[in-house]
Amino acid sequence: MTEETHRRLYELVNNPPPGSKVAAAKEFGIDLTLNLRSLASTPDERAASMESALELMEEFQRAGAKLRK
Amino acid sequence: MDFKTALKTLTDGRVNFIVVGAYAGVVQGTAQVTRDLDICYERSPENMKRLAVALAPCHPRLRGTPAGLPFVLDERTLAQGMNFTFQADFGDIDLLGELSGVGQFPELARDAVLIELHGMQVRVASLDALIRSKRAAGRAKDLNVLPELEALKEMHAIQDQEKKDSK
Repeated sequence: MTEETHRRLYELVNNPPPGSKVAAAKEFGIDLTLNLRSLASTPDERAASMESALELMEEFQRAGAKLRK
Repeated sequence: MDFKTALKTLTDGRVNFIVVGAYAGVVQGTAQVTRDLDICYERSPENMKRLAVALAPCHPRLRGTPAGLPFVLDERTLAQGMNFTFQADFGDIDLLGELSGVGQFPELARDAVLIELHGMQVRVASLDALIRSKRAAGRAKDLNVLPELEALKEMHAIQDQEKKDSK
């Protein structure tokens, strides 16, 4: 992603045109800066990042289950 | 959940499939976390056979069923049903013969995108198809994802414009 595109996306996310889907998503409570970060990565990196988060989450769950035993 | 092994199993088995659901959303840029892989598979007899053969070494069983319940996944089982939820050695996988609001594999394939994932070329549902399917499914969990997907579409438009301008 070029700096110019990043700047345009940042502007869209921070000052979305009224009536746009981006404005609606913000109103709905979605933190679109996370999507902005995601779009700066390749699809492969996006998948890898989610999979690392899932791995960590599952590790926490396993640790929690062990503690409850 | 081992997504890489799941995708490799299907790819090595020459299964015609398209990644759909939350994992497809993540690849397209959503900020969600999912613990299963949803795929839409082609319902030709040859492909269903390839799918059953590819999954067999991963010991697929119907998710949530009691241990020891006999189950055989083969071409016939797939032909007699449509959508299946399995747990396998690599984790949970949903096999969808049809995606609500979109249709079956041929309809989904029309605008699916070929994306490199874990070193493999994998077909992933388009953002438009994901939006249509979530809208058609209409459950609260689907509708909750819609605003993010629709916003992403506007964000993608800016990225696509950049690609056009650079050509």
